[in-house]
Amino acid sequence: MALLQIAEPGQSAKPHQRKLAVGIDLGTTHSLVASVRSGQAETLPNSRGEHLLPSVVRYLVDELPQVGVKAQAHLVDDAANTVMSVKRLMGRGIEDVKRLGSNMPYLFEACDQGMPLIHTVAGLKSPVQVSADILRALVQRGESSLGGELVGAVITVPAYFDDAQRQATKDAAQLAGIQVLRLLNEPTAAAVAYGLEQDEQQDATIAVFDLGGGTFDISILRMEQGVFEVLATGGDSALGGDDFDHVLAEWMRQERQIPEQLDLAQQRFLLRLARTAKEALSQVSTSNLCFSDWPGAAVYADLELTLEQMNVLLDPIIGRAIRATKRTLRDAKVSLDDVAQVVMVGGSTRSLQVQQRVAQLFARQPLTSIDPDRVVALGAARQADVLVGNQSGDELLLLDVLPLSLGLETMGGLVERVIDRNTPIPVARAQEFTTYQDGQTAMAIHVLQGERDLVQDCRSLSRFELRGIPPMAAGAAKIRVTFQVDADGLLEVSARELTSGVATSVQVKPSYGLSDLQIAEMIKASWTNIEDDRSARSLREQQVEADRLLEAIKVALAEDGERLLPAQEQQAIELQMQQLSIARDGQDHHAIAKQIEVMAKTSDAYAALRMDDSIKRALAGKAVDQL
Amino acid sequence: MDISQDFFACYGLTRGFEVDLKGLRQSHRTLQQTHHPDRFVSHSHEHQRRAVQTTAYLNQAFATLRSPLKRGIYLLQLQGMDPLAHTNTQMPMDFLLQQIELRETMEDIPQQQDSESAIEALAAALQGQALALEAEFARAYSGVEYSVAETAVRKLQFIVKLQQQLDALEGELLD
Repeated sequence: MALLQIAEPGQSAKPHQRKLAVGIDLGTTHSLVASVRSGQAETLPNSRGEHLLPSVVRYLVDELPQVGVKAQAHLVDDAANTVMSVKRLMGRGIEDVKRLGSNMPYLFEACDQGMPLIHTVAGLKSPVQVSADILRALVQRGESSLGGELVGAVITVPAYFDDAQRQATKDAAQLAGIQVLRLLNEPTAAAVAYGLEQDEQQDATIAVFDLGGGTFDISILRMEQGVFEVLATGGDSALGGDDFDHVLAEWMRQERQIPEQLDLAQQRFLLRLARTAKEALSQVSTSNLCFSDWPGAAVYADLELTLEQMNVLLDPIIGRAIRATKRTLRDAKVSLDDVAQVVMVGGSTRSLQVQQRVAQLFARQPLTSIDPDRVVALGAARQADVLVGNQSGDELLLLDVLPLSLGLETMGGLVERVIDRNTPIPVARAQEFTTYQDGQTAMAIHVLQGERDLVQDCRSLSRFELRGIPPMAAGAAKIRVTFQVDADGLLEVSARELTSGVATSVQVKPSYGLSDLQIAEMIKASWTNIEDDRSARSLREQQVEADRLLEAIKVALAEDGERLLPAQEQQAIELQMQQLSIARDGQDHHAIAKQIEVMAKTSDAYAALRMDDSIKRALAGKAVDQL
Repeated sequence: MDISQDFFACYGLTRGFEVDLKGLRQSHRTLQQTHHPDRFVSHSHEHQRRAVQTTAYLNQAFATLRSPLKRGIYLLQLQGMDPLAHTNTQMPMDFLLQQIELRETMEDIPQQQDSESAIEALAAALQGQALALEAEFARAYSGVEYSVAETAVRKLQFIVKLQQQLDALEGELLD
């Protein structure tokens, strides 16, 4: 309904009230909050002028938790109650955490849904709660800087985050009482931060190269008239600046012939030395590595590392990022020449060597003018400003893609892809499935995310059951499963049996998560394990076929085996069933295929007998003209 | 936005095989600007849900119309046909033999000395065939010879699959 606005003559209407919204970069080591003020996106500092909030929360008895620098100070003396790097636990199950666990000093306990809970003096805390405490601190900072209540926030997540991790992030925001305007992928946010759509040259392809401490993300975007469209996203979730340190530390160990067995203090010593050298070599060409404080009995002479030596050592790691970049360009069907801008994100892109290699690949200088630690939060702030409607007429629109394929488990532990990765979201897709056995009235639906062919190699998102399917012959029921992914990348699944209309719907609320290793595998393995997958798929297919055949013959024999078959022939069939069962439990799909063939031959005559028999019975007692 | 209309109608296009891809892209962007859930952040939950459905529909429509193969299949589906239901045994024998040859050529590529130019040669051959089949489809469809069009689009499906496998192979070899 339109309202007539009346103003006293000479008095103008009240100026447009700006809505307060922020962008939040909820990071593994530190977090940031940013907002658009006077048309400019800026990160918001605390009262001491610090912009980065360490993502650390310390729990206390009968007191509010400490967040940030205060909590960080107690990482050593109150390790059990001071939680850091909680982002790594988001959307993960207790099993995953145990695998990560060695460098996490917390006591974990599983709750009902398999979510890991951390024992603290303030009680059990889930990763979602810890993240919520960080978010609360950021929101408070935002509200006191901007002077009012926030309408909502855009929160960034790594592009490779799966549904469980996104859901956990959104849950944390809900817990902290913030309205999530949008979950935004970090590389997309970075592209927006540079305001490239305001440039003269309107249409361009942009690559966002995001090398953090432990992960590498690469996104290819197409920008046309204010619309940023992600064409493809990829990367390596086990590749980052930490690998640089490890390679340099290992080089030092070998140079000084330090024994391979190091205690924790010695490992930390080498890594710290590596980090210092790495940073020094961005200014000078030679760095002196001093071993005088070595935590051990042995004495080692100092060591020199030149820039040239370091470049040789780090080259293979950067090479991995470059290869992943080329792969993603291929996925996006974009050539190197097409890329007009390269945006650098993440602390590890401060490395000159990384910048040089990227510049070499694209034959152009990457954009590094915005602090790579802040660029994501700044982009999120711009998006938040647009979403709440502060920039009326602004055409900025971000169109993202699904980072990992979604599928369903089918017979034999295989995954049937329903939506491929890099499909633009929102997306809805339906797939029809059928029953496997006669009279089957229920069907379990298992939703998975990942690129591999086998269920065990993908991430289990959710299981639910469709009941009340009317009993029909195998293959007659039609079950339509619909997947819908919204603009946040969150999945909703519903299923319906088409002949009866029986429906069930689930919000995919997962309880397990991926280990770093699993994520790394899921992304990498789709490339390296294609061969494995092929033979694994053949094996499962043959096993399914064998089961089907065995089941059919078993049912037939029970029905009329004794009546139709001489004992000797029945024995021959049973013997062959045993042979097939043995092959079916083995690992050789050729062997199973062969036994299936023999089985089919052995039972052919029996099948013919049954056919004749049923025709005879159908015709029995009927005159020809009655047919 | 009425999401019960067909994909052509929602982009204001006449139903047919020829589509101006640039114009389609432009319309898609304009429609996204209007209907994307980002435009409804401060609206009711119901509005937002509808926006998700509308954009999901638009994304599917765009993906269907921009791909000649999907567009062809969709046109026949609108005629009540189901080109995907058939099995490959119903394909003409000479076409199947040609497919086997192409497949063998592809399987030999990793052993070739200059695999890169072998890939390029095969890609060019496949592209030529795809274009010919698209032309064949367009001619048959506009001439209301739907069963001829169906054969063309099913052949095209084989070629597109080979193209995808060749892409994957190229990725593996270049890595």
